Amino acid sequence: MKRIIAFILLACMMTCLCGVALADEVDVEAALAEAEGMTNEELYEKAKEEVAAGAQLNFYSTTSFAEKAAANFMAAYPELDGKVIYAEIDDGETYTILQNTIGSGVADSADMALTQNGSDLQTFMLDEGLTYSYFPEMYKDVVDEQFQKPAVVTFIDSLFIYNNTDGSIELTNVWQLTEPEWAGKVFFKDPTNETVNINFLIMLTSPEWVERMEEAYKSYYGEDWANEEEYENASYEWIDKFLANVNYTYTSASDMAKGIASGAGGNLGLFVFSKLRKVDEADRGNLTVVQFENDVEGFSGFMYNVYATVAKDTECPYTCALFINYLLGEEGFAGEDSWNSSQGYYSANSSIEKPEELEDEAYSYWSDKLVFEDAAYIYDHYVDVYEYISVRVGS
Amino acid sequence: MGEKKLAHRCKAFFSKPSNVLLVIFLAVLFVLSVLPLITMVTNMFTVHIGTEKKILRLQEGAFTWNHFERLFPISDWSVVNFWKPLGNSFVVAIGAGVLGILIGGTVAWFITRSNLRFKKFISAVFVFPYMMPAWTLALFWINVFKNSQVGGGNVGILESMFGICMPEWFVYGLFPMVIVIALHYSPFAYLLIGGILKNMDATLEESATILKAGRMKIIRRITMPIVMPAILSTFLLIFSSGFSSYTVPVFLGSAVKTFTLSTKMRALINAGYQGQGYIIAFVSIALGCFILGLNQWFTGKRKSFTTVTGKSGQVSLVDLKKANLPISLFLCVYVLFFAIAPLISFALESVIRQPGNYSLSNMTLHFWIGTEASAYETGMISGILLNPTMWKALGRQVLLALIVAVIVGTSGMLIGYACVRRRGSRLSRWVESMAFFPYLMPAMAFGTIYLAVATSQHFKFLYGTFGMLILVASIKFLPFASRSGINSMLQISPEIEEAAMVVGVPWWKRMVRIMFPIQKSSILSGYLLPVISVMREVALFTLLVPYARYLLTTMLFSFNETGYSQYGSAVTLLIVLIIILINTLTNKLTGASFDKGIGG
Repeated sequence: MKRIIAFILLACMMTCLCGVALADEVDVEAALAEAEGMTNEELYEKAKEEVAAGAQLNFYSTTSFAEKAAANFMAAYPELDGKVIYAEIDDGETYTILQNTIGSGVADSADMALTQNGSDLQTFMLDEGLTYSYFPEMYKDVVDEQFQKPAVVTFIDSLFIYNNTDGSIELTNVWQLTEPEWAGKVFFKDPTNETVNINFLIMLTSPEWVERMEEAYKSYYGEDWANEEEYENASYEWIDKFLANVNYTYTSASDMAKGIASGAGGNLGLFVFSKLRKVDEADRGNLTVVQFENDVEGFSGFMYNVYATVAKDTECPYTCALFINYLLGEEGFAGEDSWNSSQGYYSANSSIEKPEELEDEAYSYWSDKLVFEDAAYIYDHYVDVYEYISVRVGS
Repeated sequence: MGEKKLAHRCKAFFSKPSNVLLVIFLAVLFVLSVLPLITMVTNMFTVHIGTEKKILRLQEGAFTWNHFERLFPISDWSVVNFWKPLGNSFVVAIGAGVLGILIGGTVAWFITRSNLRFKKFISAVFVFPYMMPAWTLALFWINVFKNSQVGGGNVGILESMFGICMPEWFVYGLFPMVIVIALHYSPFAYLLIGGILKNMDATLEESATILKAGRMKIIRRITMPIVMPAILSTFLLIFSSGFSSYTVPVFLGSAVKTFTLSTKMRALINAGYQGQGYIIAFVSIALGCFILGLNQWFTGKRKSFTTVTGKSGQVSLVDLKKANLPISLFLCVYVLFFAIAPLISFALESVIRQPGNYSLSNMTLHFWIGTEASAYETGMISGILLNPTMWKALGRQVLLALIVAVIVGTSGMLIGYACVRRRGSRLSRWVESMAFFPYLMPAMAFGTIYLAVATSQHFKFLYGTFGMLILVASIKFLPFASRSGINSMLQISPEIEEAAMVVGVPWWKRMVRIMFPIQKSSILSGYLLPVISVMREVALFTLLVPYARYLLTTMLFSFNETGYSQYGSAVTLLIVLIIILINTLTNKLTGASFDKGIGG
């Protein structure tokens, strides 16, 4: 009996402690500071040492393409083969997961993370010292300073894209989308479940974008916006009426791209441009990017950043640094089957251009056509706009 | 003297293995079930980092009533985030309960009390939907009924084959949620009600027949009162499961902005409103407790969930006469459509490139065995059978299922033994109630409780670990194993064990050599159910896995949420086939099986 009791107690203890790994302390911050000035060859040597000591790079990402990037990285650095482990995390739970696993001693917690939503990255990770920024000196001249710390490894855009089987929808002004005839015909992922979508709507309420929305309003209706009694500003009115028309049938951007391509003519989506690659070739011709047809007063979509940061308790800071260098460089970003070979991904490295054969434009082309995220503004206004939107989505 | 007496009493008390077991389980269940609940309750009154801290301008961990003030008084916010989803959850739960019983109960009656044809086939296949993750049925529903008039105008199977377009309320929203959840849980009603019907003493009906009572009168006055406790228990269990369903509303409700409490709970937690999310979880749990109370009030006894009843005599089957063939064929078509067709649909969806195009030229095995080069466009590095991530996730899921089955099955048997041997004692009642308590907690709410624990300062080492998943699943799936253990032990007369005690057989030997072999089949079923439950569970794990592709079911849910529909279909098919294989193997090797007790 005593043995049985002892066994049960032991099993309970083992269950509780399962997965807890004890790691040797590494001064990650100092290692990253040193890594910033090192060449890739030097970093590779250090990375080999880390891997030989038993480390592996657990790499968390919200973007599925990152799995391919990890595979390419290991092919480029064969002695790291099998040591870069990719884990896809849901956008909504990103920071809950990272906040609770980094530094907690959990085995296989993230060594490095590629995340979106700069406001939460700052609040939950960088301010709390859970992850560190790293940016190599070798790219300081080709990457704008504002994208260096934390390092932006790619930009992703969501654009207005429609099914052209019934001809052009002639969308020239975003206020058109608030008209009753668009009810149920414009597709957008539920912003209360998708941080980049809500961030885009939050950015619309910033003074700069309110001004642009008022200009677009005047151009469309021929008069100044003056609905202060009902709405705080023009952007809130647009958000309210736009969301009232939105159809939430598709819960993912991939489904939206495929669904709109094979669905009814005239349907319009605001979704991630790069998802066009998931549409079967036979249907791809059914989709048209509005911006490639004509300019849209207001905006043609929005752009958001994907950041790379390194966990404070990683056992392989040099491998992380080498991987970030790889993602920022030509080989990692523009190599075969990598981000740059798809529409809708743009490097912060200005020396990398989009391939000419792709129906896409350089990052600079989009600068005055899309809504760009400003983490500081989003941080300050998240609550007000989230609650405004949450009520509209659910009612 | 008093101390000596107390020591003697303690020694006498702990000399009985059943007492030792009860004390151990009481302590373990209190720590793993009640304490986490207390943690969650404290989280309902505290400020969390992030959004709440920003809104309230208070320190993390500070006391606040704000979460209650936002969620309960009528306002735009509370209507959208609480009251409306609450109403929807009630509609789904009541509808699914009623329909599930109608379907499951009717089929159970035909199988056990009539001379229906193809019984073995219908009986074996009818339980398939319960083995599938519920939302895969929701996806099947969408694939069949979507059409050019609703949603995105995409053509589904029904429209492409017959040109029929169903209205939006039929394809998305509360109606399909009720249907899908009822279909998923109707095997549950079938098993519980069928168990009673099969074991029902036939002499009662025969006596009525001799007294020239009509068939309908016999059903109304004899059969129905006998199965009424099972019907009520089943209704309340389906109600409880339907109320807390998370995955089905995600797929069938989001398109038409129909949210339930579970979907709102997750949305609020993810948006940084953790306090309000925890309150919703608590409301679901409180409702679960209310349901158990209601069930006890209706049935007047705690044994109401049992499927094992008194011994029956020879059952006389009702002759369906001319109606036999049409009813048999109808039921065959029914099970083919809702049990076999989804599997065929998943197989088909996993091999087509272009959605809706089922021609041979559009088919490929790329999503199963595609290599790196061809898989590039989808963002995956290979087809699922060649993808190490999938194999790791499958390995973890199977390992988790097996470990949980061993823990839960063994605990259930030991709880059953201890509770039955000390039947009537306060300790026994406490352990029995606490072992059943986790059933009342919706899976998502239960996951939320452990999320609250694992994100608290002292337990962060638990977050995202495999051990955490074992812990959560073991507690969550204990209720049926303990219920099954109690029921099976109740059937064993204490004299058998007492006889062994007289000749000095030690406790463990009595368990291994006497108790277990006598109820082998029933106890093994107690091990099997957690395996099946873990293999198809997602809501319980979704908040607790370190990343989406950690387990096969969370990976599948992520595939379905992010649009990897072909990979999702392939994984679904894989999961269902594994469950069927486990069930069949267990059945062949031990005689225990998921649908044991009814059969054809």
